Amino acid sequence: MKLKLAASFIFAAALLAAGGTARAHHGNSAYDEEHWITLSGTVTEFVWANPHCQIFLDVKDDKGTVVNWAIESQSPGIMRRNNWARTSVKPGDQITITLAPAKNGAPVGFSGNKDGKVVFSDGHVLKMDIR
Amino acid sequence: MRSRRFNFLAVLIAGGALAVPSAGFAQAAAQQSAAKSAPKRDLNGVWQLQGDGSQQPIAEDKDIPSMTPWAKAKFAEEKPGYGVRGAAGGNDPILQCDPIGFPRIMMMPTPLELQQAPGRILEFWEREHEWRPIWIDGRALPQDPDPAWFGYAIGHWEGDYTLVVESTGFRESTWLGPTGYPHSENMRITERYHRVDQDTILYDMTISDPAAYAKPIVGPQRVFKLKPHGEINEYPCVYTEEHEFTQRIREPATPKSAK
Repeated sequence: MKLKLAASFIFAAALLAAGGTARAHHGNSAYDEEHWITLSGTVTEFVWANPHCQIFLDVKDDKGTVVNWAIESQSPGIMRRNNWARTSVKPGDQITITLAPAKNGAPVGFSGNKDGKVVFSDGHVLKMDIR
Repeated sequence: MRSRRFNFLAVLIAGGALAVPSAGFAQAAAQQSAAKSAPKRDLNGVWQLQGDGSQQPIAEDKDIPSMTPWAKAKFAEEKPGYGVRGAAGGNDPILQCDPIGFPRIMMMPTPLELQQAPGRILEFWEREHEWRPIWIDGRALPQDPDPAWFGYAIGHWEGDYTLVVESTGFRESTWLGPTGYPHSENMRITERYHRVDQDTILYDMTISDPAAYAKPIVGPQRVFKLKPHGEINEYPCVYTEEHEFTQRIREPATPKSAK
């Protein structure tokens, strides 16, 4: 009986694990979606356009040098379904953004899917996980 | 017996509590079994391909059959502008806003709407704001179709819940997916839209193209979910915007080792 209970539990745990890893694989991506990072900085530009919206963000690196990051998000259609609007981000906004950086090391990234999000200085959060 | 069942339920509930904070495993399972049965011969609605939010390949690389010399040569010329085969100055047609075409448009992470009209089912894609008719009035496929971006499609019901669609007449300039797999004008596609319940279509696609592949390409079974209050947004490909995006995002992110 105990054995059966344990077996059932392992089965349930395995199901959960499978659900969690299914999205991790992104074979054709230029971005490292295995290692998401968080950056804080000042928005310099927000492009609300197809194919994907873009956020440009001034971020200070360890040495105090300002680097302008180019961050890809989703299409305006997908963003709208996630409660974004073309006015959601404005130049001068202080934000913290979670993104998958380019594998080539350039200051370019992707913030979308289940893990991408923006936290604004007043604490509100916008995500992009609804298709 | 009773206690064993109790234990199993307890495990399910405990598993659910550990799993997903918003909707537990047991709750999700209950919702699944509570899904309403599918209406007969009806695919109307806005549907969302399930996946990780990315454009999906037509099939995994390992499942692409060997290419003919003609297809190999074409594949070598087709350079994605992004992704693992990506290179700056790539010639993916969609980077120039050439129509994405069928079947690649089915693999996009944006929704599509199906609406039935007399004699046809209309398929509208958010991506590119494009559409095609699937003729269900009993006509045959044309013998010598003019090659078209979205081909020519006919369909019939197999029972009350499966729409089988045959299509042909495709322009060979479209790619089968982001990796750049080619096809010929003689490509023929069979799709099965199997509505298993109110919320779910199981979707199978087989591509037969002897001029390009030794065997048919059989895609993985895909799942589309109904978005009950969904609507299709405008998503045209605009060359100036696409070009700017390529310069500011795609090319800087292209892997240095791209081949």
